[in-house]
Amino acid sequence: MTDIKPNIRLKKRYRAEVRFKIYCASALAIGMIILLTLISSITISAIPAFTQINISIDVQLEDDDIQTFKENPTDVSWRTIQKKSIYKMFPEITSRSDKRELNKIVSTGAYLEIEKFYNRNRDLIKQTNKIYVPAADDIDLIIKNLTDRDLPENMRTISDKQLSYLDTMIEEDRIKKSFSWRLFSNGDSREPELAGLKGGIVGTLLTMFVTLIISFPVGVLAAVYLEEIAPKNRLTDIIEVNINNLAAVPSIVYGLLGLAIFLNYMNMPRSAPLVGGIVLALMTLPVIIIATRASLASIPPSIREAAYGVGASQMQVITHHVVPLALPGILTGTIIGIARAAGETAPLLMIGMMAFIVDIPTGITDKATVLPAQVYMWANNPERSFEYLTSAAILVLLVILIVINLLAIILRKKYERRW
Amino acid sequence: MPDMPDENYKIKTNDVTVDYGDKRALHGINLNIQSNQVTSLIGPSGCGKSTFIRCLNRMNDLIMGCHVNGSILIDNTDINLPETDIVELRARIGMVFQKPNPFPKSIYDNVAYGPRIHGLTKNKDDLDHVVTKSLKRAGLWKEVSDRLDASGLSLSGGQQQRLCIARAIAVNPDVLLMDEPCSALDPIATAVIEELINELKERYTIVIVTHSMQQAARLSQKTAYFHLGEMIEFDDTSTIFTNPKHEMTESYITGKIG
Repeated sequence: MTDIKPNIRLKKRYRAEVRFKIYCASALAIGMIILLTLISSITISAIPAFTQINISIDVQLEDDDIQTFKENPTDVSWRTIQKKSIYKMFPEITSRSDKRELNKIVSTGAYLEIEKFYNRNRDLIKQTNKIYVPAADDIDLIIKNLTDRDLPENMRTISDKQLSYLDTMIEEDRIKKSFSWRLFSNGDSREPELAGLKGGIVGTLLTMFVTLIISFPVGVLAAVYLEEIAPKNRLTDIIEVNINNLAAVPSIVYGLLGLAIFLNYMNMPRSAPLVGGIVLALMTLPVIIIATRASLASIPPSIREAAYGVGASQMQVITHHVVPLALPGILTGTIIGIARAAGETAPLLMIGMMAFIVDIPTGITDKATVLPAQVYMWANNPERSFEYLTSAAILVLLVILIVINLLAIILRKKYERRW
Repeated sequence: MPDMPDENYKIKTNDVTVDYGDKRALHGINLNIQSNQVTSLIGPSGCGKSTFIRCLNRMNDLIMGCHVNGSILIDNTDINLPETDIVELRARIGMVFQKPNPFPKSIYDNVAYGPRIHGLTKNKDDLDHVVTKSLKRAGLWKEVSDRLDASGLSLSGGQQQRLCIARAIAVNPDVLLMDEPCSALDPIATAVIEELINELKERYTIVIVTHSMQQAARLSQKTAYFHLGEMIEFDDTSTIFTNPKHEMTESYITGKIG
């Protein structure tokens, strides 16, 4: 062999190695850039949704209102009180149409804040109180500079008159920007300034609870049977192929199954986390079974032999040694399956969980919706504020999924392979 | 074979055959093993000696498609019958494997596992006593007495293998089966284990599979030579190594085949 040839080959090989590393690194970089772009664009458009513009109005209850409030608080017409208080702030406005426009500056749900205030502070009933109420969604956008107020009047939802009233309020220092706790404490609403995610968050948690309770024990036991106990024959081969196929079935098919069996045949409640959880559990089962089987199969046979060798029964071998050692993999698979289920909408469409539900569910048979369904519905709403709210809802869903995945990593680290 | 009264044989096998699916791995083995002796099984790889030793505690049951026929009498009871309680059998017939395989638990729990699942001890003191005794018999006590809570996997290879021996004898078996117990160990650790086997034969009947003919010669009183699923020759170790009757045995021990 000559001296030059291997040298050239060596250099060529080094260059090929460097190129290979660059390819791999750039593949990773592309993925990271796409992910970062996605998350940052969502975060940026979600920011306005986390603050809320409030307007203070001076409320003085009249004598008959006080009387009614003392006798029967639910009969008080808070809506009328709201209107009167606002009109009092602008005594110069007299025409009906102007008054109506003035009243539209605050949210249609503003009276709820007044009601809440008086129910909490019964001793302040006789004096004039400064109460902050949410601004209407288009006013909210004007103050956050998300709507251009220099547009011609016919191109914006706010009239010039409303703008002048608003400017007076700003001069009187009645406008306050605060963190929007409503986003987490309210249920859904048609009004963007009143809409919150609590219904979706609670619905998601209840649904995931049902999913986990069903899919984890059933999935793990089925996998243990297939991997550790069942004889390997044609029947178990067929079952295995079918489980792998089920993992690839489009999720809406599970929804159809849920509709046909749980709702139409078994008459379970519509739109309930109970049914949603069962449907998602069916969808998650193959994922858990496959992950558990892979994890059980990776336990070295020497551990099983050691346990059998000292006279452990099959159940003891499985419960004392194999399953505890496979637990990290089982938990990772379960949490990945649950996280996938938490982001699912299609199967829930079929069983009525993709619905406008204002009340916050208190149990698994209440009507409920889930976060991804709420994202979808908010994205369909015409009001511009929902654009920001949708991003905020996506962000909340992402945070929940990140928490679930973090949990998976922590559990895996905790029970790391020890043989 | 020297004439012995029947009851002195701990293990008697009669026409034992093993099939893996269509493939016959053992062809009619007749082998009688005496109490309190070391019997070694030698032969080239794939000759069936490990398969045979695994018949003695029904370990082959775990292998899919493996069928064992023939009778295997231990203390004059056939263990190869379907009604045999395998759990009870394996508690009587301890086994040490080729690769040290302690459980990923503490040293204490490794040894205590057998007595615990068989309910051999009444209380913690009793269990402590069994663990200590087993570790002492396995010659490991001095090295680990101050760190019984450490993981069994933190020990060196030779120590792990002695831990496995302690684990096997903690359930008080009659027979110890050893499947190439030193093949993963260095010569020093091997010497320690061999010394231990020599002591253990006072209490237990030991059957050992080994690839090292020197080890068979050093340790055992009886040696059986296996070749391609057949037992070619079985005799006193000294006879096998100095004056084998069979030509194949001679070729193997002189290094011509294997």
